[in-house]
Amino acid sequence: MAKAKTAYRKPKNRIHLFDVINYIVFIIVGLAVLVPIWKVVVDSFNAVGVYQFRLWPSDFTLDGYRTIIETQALYRPFINSVVTTVLGTLLGLVLSTLGGYVLIQFDMPGRNFFAYVLLFTMIFSGGMIPEYLVMKQLGLVNSMWVLVVKHGINVYNLVLMRNFFEGIPGSLYEAAKIDGCSPMGIFFKIVLPLSKAALASIGLMFAVTVWNDYSTVKIYITDPDQTNFQYKLRNMIMDGDTPTTSYAVSQNTLYYAGIVAAILPFMLLYPFLQKYFVKGVNIGAVKE
Amino acid sequence: MSRKKKTVTTSTGVEVRHKPLGLRIKNNIGYYVMFLPVLIFIIIIYYWPMLGIRYAFYDYKPVGEPAFVGFDHFTKMFSTDAFWTAFKNTLELSIMKLIITTFTAVIVSVFLNEMGNLFAKKTLQTIIYLPHFMSWAVVASIFSLFLSPSSTGLVNGLLRDWGILAEDAQNIYFLAEPAWWRPIFYIINIWKETGWGTIIFLATLSGINPELYEAADIDGATRLQKMRYVTLPALANTIITVLILNLAKVMNMFESVFVLYNNAVYSVSDVISTYIYRQTFAIALPNYGYSTAVGLFKSLVGCFLVLVCNWASKKTRGRGIV
Repeated sequence: MAKAKTAYRKPKNRIHLFDVINYIVFIIVGLAVLVPIWKVVVDSFNAVGVYQFRLWPSDFTLDGYRTIIETQALYRPFINSVVTTVLGTLLGLVLSTLGGYVLIQFDMPGRNFFAYVLLFTMIFSGGMIPEYLVMKQLGLVNSMWVLVVKHGINVYNLVLMRNFFEGIPGSLYEAAKIDGCSPMGIFFKIVLPLSKAALASIGLMFAVTVWNDYSTVKIYITDPDQTNFQYKLRNMIMDGDTPTTSYAVSQNTLYYAGIVAAILPFMLLYPFLQKYFVKGVNIGAVKE
Repeated sequence: MSRKKKTVTTSTGVEVRHKPLGLRIKNNIGYYVMFLPVLIFIIIIYYWPMLGIRYAFYDYKPVGEPAFVGFDHFTKMFSTDAFWTAFKNTLELSIMKLIITTFTAVIVSVFLNEMGNLFAKKTLQTIIYLPHFMSWAVVASIFSLFLSPSSTGLVNGLLRDWGILAEDAQNIYFLAEPAWWRPIFYIINIWKETGWGTIIFLATLSGINPELYEAADIDGATRLQKMRYVTLPALANTIITVLILNLAKVMNMFESVFVLYNNAVYSVSDVISTYIYRQTFAIALPNYGYSTAVGLFKSLVGCFLVLVCNWASKKTRGRGIV
């Protein structure tokens, strides 16, 4: 069999035209993605605004970043972004693990009802305005906590978590139950330690969602002290709401430095966390 | 009901007699306690707002008490041109975007699958997933700087350098030009989401039985023929799944448009959600009743689409989407 296989395989070391084309296509695709990002990075170090794409800053400066760091109007939004991202991720993980875990208790009366209560929210919603009015009643309008509360519960992520838990062998639960382990005990001693990869990937999804959110802030928050960094940045660049005019730095340098600051946290972590992101998508795709 | 016949199967496959309900509730009390926080958030975030849908039938302004008006808001909505523009744009923009990004993702995955050099493949995957993690606010900022009509706008500068834009012509304000807005919107979407879209297709491709390729080799198939007759058919189901899953969400389009549009291009870019936003937060005397009515319409269409897609999903792949 092995012999038959090799007999029909084409010689490995011949370079096919197809491979050459494939590489060329991919160099183009890769560059199409990277060039915009590279231009942002280069221009954030460039003292004068130029339209040309350059591989390297022609007039190197750190003033863009200095201005970003020294501008007090950006402190609060940045801190708010960090705080809401951390808390939103924690809340999201707590709720989706608890919910996902309860949904696999097939012996629990009412489990199906709870599942339908969750699934219905994926089909129908009250809409933007009724949600706004509820948040207003809760006193969350004009407060950054709206970001934590709104993103803390995510039915889709909860279902992903449930799918992951379903993959844990049932005999482990049975054994723990027989040993007299309580539901909470099983959750902390068996389920969570076995789910580190799922926790990482779903936690990352929560973190990205909260950190990147712009529209929730735009809808719910008008108080500049409660906004997040994405909001501040977008307002600065697209609506000309520049925090300061007193720095000797070109507008472009400042804008690009701001963009780099906004994407930096995830870009730094990304190469190490990529596999968890991909895993998250695949948990959803394979089972669901 | 005869209790003795009721049995349940545990996760290990052992059949045991059904215990009485009271006892089962008592045994599972811990789980109810664990579910409580989830339930509280679900009710606050999802179910409480549903009560607010009644305002679709009321005049409700920031000052004064709500007053019942029946179907007035719906009559007004259906006779408003801006609403129909938004509705049409929502469908056109999201369906086009869905088709285009799915198409590019399929093409890129099929070629990625042919890449023999594993390091090159991994590197490219790392690169093309990257834009997905940038927020829409950041992506919109980047592209609006590139497309800006000012002297530092990359695209206008290059067009001038290459002689496409005549010496005496004005710089193009791409994002404020109805003819340009949509193509640019699609290009930005391709840039941001194609890479991420390939993940699901690559997962399918890695599951193709290698014997299929060997059989094709024996039949003397070329690389292109193998792509056409082995790889693409294997993807067909996944493509349909992706289309169905996303079709259910077409009414949700919001943030991507919200960060890129402006009042010069409402005719081609305004979608239902942005319309609701402006009717509520960007006018002097909002009527929450009217925006709730538009929102209700959007939810109902969305709900209908989910049910249709769920039905289509059951037909094509034997299981629903919800």
